[in-house]
Amino acid sequence: MSQNTTPRAARHPSPRNKRAAAVVGVGHTDWVEDWKRCRNGERPNDSYGYGLGAFRNALADAKISRDEVDGLIAGPTTAYERLGELAGIDPRWGGQADAVLAVSQAVMAIEAGYAEVVALIYGNDQRSVGTQYGGPDAMGGGAFLSYVYHSPWGFTSQGALYALTLQSYKHARGFTEAEMGEVSVAQRGWSSMNPNAIMRKPITLDDYLGSAFVCEPLHLFDYCLINDGGVALIIAEAERAKRMTDRPVFIEGVGRSDLNRGATSLEPRIDQFYLPAQQEAAAQSYAVSGLGPRDMDILQVYDSFSVHVPLALEGYGYCGIGEAGRFLRESRIGPGGKLPTNTSGGHLSETYMQGWAHQIECVRQLRGECGERQVQNARHVHYTSDVAGKCFSVIYGR
Amino acid sequence: MNVIDAKSPRPVMGLYDQPLWESVNARGMKLQRCAGCGNWLYPPGPSCPSCLSCELVWTPLSGRGRIVSWVVFHRHYLPAYPPPYNAVAVRLEEGPTMISNLEGAMPGEDSIGRAVRLVYATMPDGMILPRWALA
Repeated sequence: MSQNTTPRAARHPSPRNKRAAAVVGVGHTDWVEDWKRCRNGERPNDSYGYGLGAFRNALADAKISRDEVDGLIAGPTTAYERLGELAGIDPRWGGQADAVLAVSQAVMAIEAGYAEVVALIYGNDQRSVGTQYGGPDAMGGGAFLSYVYHSPWGFTSQGALYALTLQSYKHARGFTEAEMGEVSVAQRGWSSMNPNAIMRKPITLDDYLGSAFVCEPLHLFDYCLINDGGVALIIAEAERAKRMTDRPVFIEGVGRSDLNRGATSLEPRIDQFYLPAQQEAAAQSYAVSGLGPRDMDILQVYDSFSVHVPLALEGYGYCGIGEAGRFLRESRIGPGGKLPTNTSGGHLSETYMQGWAHQIECVRQLRGECGERQVQNARHVHYTSDVAGKCFSVIYGR
Repeated sequence: MNVIDAKSPRPVMGLYDQPLWESVNARGMKLQRCAGCGNWLYPPGPSCPSCLSCELVWTPLSGRGRIVSWVVFHRHYLPAYPPPYNAVAVRLEEGPTMISNLEGAMPGEDSIGRAVRLVYATMPDGMILPRWALA
C-alpha cells in the first residue's frame, strides 16, 4: 500500500449485546418462474412488485400482521418512500441499505430501542430492464468511482474488478485456476438440490476449465447470474421474537470494517485482498458472540464472483493465509465437504439477490427447512461479505 | 460501427480532472503532489488523503512503474475496444496505482512485477491515452 493504514489490532471491538434480535420471518419471490418469463421477453413485475411479493410471503411466514411492523428498511434498488407507501407502513424508524447493512442497521435500531419489529424489503428488476453492470454508465458509478473511472482504458465491468483481484491473488498465493474452479463446481452441487435455484445442472471441474473466459482469468462460471426477484425479512427484538415464534433465528454478532484508502485504483483489492478488514470484522463478531470459525456449521459468502470465496476463507479465519487453494481441494465446500458453503448455490447458481437471499438461506438452514440440501443439526451459520471493501461478518444462531 | 469510427470512452471529468488530461494531451502526464507530505494523488482530488492538506502541486511523473495485476477481456463491451484486449494495474514509481493498458504485447504469466514505462497512445478517434509498455 502506498498509504499508511491504522493498525487494525489496535482497534478493539466495542461491546454489544449478543442475541438482541432475531429473524422471525423470511420470504422471496419465484425467481425460477420469473427467470423463464424474463427470458421470454416479459416483465413480470418491477422492483417494487418483487419487493412487495417477498414482503407478503415474509409476513405469512412470520404469522404476523403488518400492523406489528414499526421499522422499515428498503433495499438500494427502490425508493424508500414509495416502497413504504406501497407496503402501507408508516414506521417510527426507517432506512435504506444493502443486504448486510440492512441486517446490521435493524439490529442497531432494535438494540437502541428505536424499533421492535423491522421489515427489510428488497426487489430488483435488473434482468427485465437490462441493468448495466459495465460500461461508462455502469450501475453504482455514482457511489463507487472505481466502477466508471477506468472506462477510457476499456476497463469497466464488475467482472474486470474481480478478474484483476484474482490475477494478483493467484500470483501472491500460488492459487490455481483449478482451485478457483472448485467454487463454482461446489455451488452447482448445492443448487442441484435446491428447487429454488435457477441453475441446477451439475458441472465438473473439466466443464469449468473448458469454459470460455469472459474477463480472463475469470470464466463464465465464475460470474453471478443476473435475474429478477425480491427478498424480505422480518427482524424482531429478541424477547418479542420468542413470543412471536417458536423458531426464532438469532443474530449472534455483527462485525464491520472498511477499506476506503486507494479504493478507486483498487488497491485494497489487488494489494490486500481485503484481508485486514475481513480479519477485523471477523474479530468483532467473534468477540461479541463468543464463537469462532470452528463453531460454524455453514458459511455463506457474498459471491458476485467466485473469487470472494477463497478470500473469505482466509480473511474470516477458516484457513491460514495462502491455504485457501488447498482447503478448497481437500476440505471442500460442496455437499459432503467439511465446510458447507453457499448451500443454496449462491449468486453463481441460485439467484443474484445481491446478498439478500443469502440471509434467508442462513435462516432456513437453522430452521431445518432445506430439504435435500439441509446441513444436519446446523446451529451456527456465518455470513460474510466484502463488497467494495465494506467487510461484514454476521453470525446467525438458533 | 467499426473501430475507426468508434468514440473512445470519455474520462470521468470531475472538478479536479482537467489538468491531468491537459498534461496527457501535452504528452507530459502530471499528477497532484502534496506540498505538505509529498504524497501523490490518483485520481485527482480536492485535498491530500494522507495529511488532508489542500496544497497540491501538479507535478510530472517519472513515467516508471511496475505491473501488479492484469486481465484480458474476451467480450465486446465498448465499440472502441474489440476483444481480445488487456488491462493492467501499474504501481507508479511515485506510489499510486493506475489502471491502464499494456501496449506492444499481451500480458501473461510472467507479467506481474515487470517494469513498464509510460507511453502515449493515439486512439482511432484522436484521443490521447496514457498507457504502458515493457521497459
